[in-house]
Amino acid sequence: MLRKLKNSLFLIYIVLATFLVTLPLFHIIFSVFINGFPVILKAGLSFLTETLPPPGEELAGIGPAILGTFILTFLSSLIGIPIATLAGIYAAEYPNSFFSRATRTLLLVMIEFPTILVSLFVMSIVVLPMGRFSAIAGAIALVIVMMPYVAVYTEQALKSVPERYREAAYALGLKRKQVVFRVMFSIARKGIVTGFLIGIAKAAGETAPILFTAGGAYRTFFIGLDKPVGAIPLLIYDLVQQPYSNYHEIAWGSALILLIVFLAIFIPVRLSVREVKL
Amino acid sequence: MNAFEVRNLRVSYDDFEIISGIDLDIPAKTCFAIMGPSGCGKSTLLRTFNRLIEINENARVSGIIKLFGKNIFEIETSELRRRVGMVFQIPNPFPHLSVYENVAVGPKFNKMVKNKKELDKIVEWALKKAVLWDEVKDRLRERASNLSGGQMQRLCIARALALKPEVLLMDEPTANLDPISASKIEELIHELKKEYTMVIVTHSPSQASRIADYVAFLYLGKIVEIGRVEDVFENPKHELTEKYLTGRIG
Ligand SMILES: Nc1ncnc2c1ncn2[C@@H]1O[C@H](COP(=O)(O)OP(=O)(O)OP(=O)(O)O)[C@@H](O)[C@H]1O
Ligand SMILES: [Mg+2]
Repeated sequence: MLRKLKNSLFLIYIVLATFLVTLPLFHIIFSVFINGFPVILKAGLSFLTETLPPPGEELAGIGPAILGTFILTFLSSLIGIPIATLAGIYAAEYPNSFFSRATRTLLLVMIEFPTILVSLFVMSIVVLPMGRFSAIAGAIALVIVMMPYVAVYTEQALKSVPERYREAAYALGLKRKQVVFRVMFSIARKGIVTGFLIGIAKAAGETAPILFTAGGAYRTFFIGLDKPVGAIPLLIYDLVQQPYSNYHEIAWGSALILLIVFLAIFIPVRLSVREVKL
Repeated sequence: MNAFEVRNLRVSYDDFEIISGIDLDIPAKTCFAIMGPSGCGKSTLLRTFNRLIEINENARVSGIIKLFGKNIFEIETSELRRRVGMVFQIPNPFPHLSVYENVAVGPKFNKMVKNKKELDKIVEWALKKAVLWDEVKDRLRERASNLSGGQMQRLCIARALALKPEVLLMDEPTANLDPISASKIEELIHELKKEYTMVIVTHSPSQASRIADYVAFLYLGKIVEIGRVEDVFENPKHELTEKYLTGRIG
């Protein structure tokens, strides 16, 4: 009797705790929808395609920011994911080598590293020498931010594959490359793809890394890798600091777009990559 | 003709010597059992025969092992492992692959086939050889992890056979199976030894006596006794062997 009571108290406690922890998340999603949806409804489809209006009544659109986010995310993923995946594989395959230990420590430091400092760093080595903000500077900063996530997830995913499958692969005469890329990689794919997604989501959602690097451009579309480029999070950050009410509305609309982009990256791939039952 | 000739074999992990100077001959197309108590080095010994031991960075091997007269340390590892197949204690079919793909993976990656038709033929042949075909011929596309433990182990045998090996190493292949599945594997071993050299590790003397022609009793990294099964089981020369056979060690 007492045990039953204890059990149900425990259950209530867990449900309550879960609720409290997830409350802010739902609150964010909820308020973004409530505030953002009417804006997009009012602006219509052109919200996705038009450029930023002057202060005043108009809503127009955030086309350059959306395109900018896609370009920055694509570029940084293109550079960051392959390098980071190889680093993760290296750390998992040679766990005892000095280089691998150093890599692992470095990656963990990089994950904790304040992203604003990454932004400053890239500003000093790319933006200042080039003399202007640019898409490539923004992408480099995002590469630095996303890589440790991708690498650490890859390493962990590979390490979680039981040794018996590696042995089986070697026992069939497979070469090391085949064992790693054809066997271990496929068995661990769910974890590895999750790492890719987290990296991509970071690149699409982070503001600080691009603050001093990408520059932002909202009245013109993408004009070149060496020219400033906008991004949705950066636009939101800029708009909320301005005193104009149409800019605040656009910021809410942008937040909803960012959320949708985020969910659109995450949900389908999460669902489509089948987990390997070990 | 001997499949394996082993002389003064020593294996250590870091500074611990696990196999301390072993000599043995394994005649071709027989079933050779290596028995001994837990931790005596049976798996370590078996894994030197296909040099799988080398994936452990801390392992050191010295001595001579010849496969049909040729030094195995001069054979490229992938070739050696194609010729000397291995089946493990825990059935380990690849969980991300189907039944078919599990058998096909060896021939495919080792570029032993030219087209899909040849591959189909090898897969069917290997599954029949492992007495699994009838049970899985309608389930070839299913994940291997859907099979029962005994079926998985026979799938692993088929996977090894698909490479057309000369020798099959088995490390306690029935240790994780129910008695019925285990006896199916034992029957299969009886069939396979007509064509292949079988080297089987077991911790069970009774299994050794059922399946093997020759047996070696390994204790603390040394061979205590070796010979034909009848001889070793009927008149063990060493007190230690007798103790082991009567269940007083291990
Ligand atoms: N990779 C390794 N590194 C260090 N020591 C190891 C390693 N693998 C095995 N050993 C040690 O070597 C000894 C022999 O191990 P082995 O697996 O060969 O024994 P076994 O006879 O197969 O035992 P079991 O019947 O339990 O499978 C054990 O003491 C084990 O702890
Ligand atoms: Mg063992």
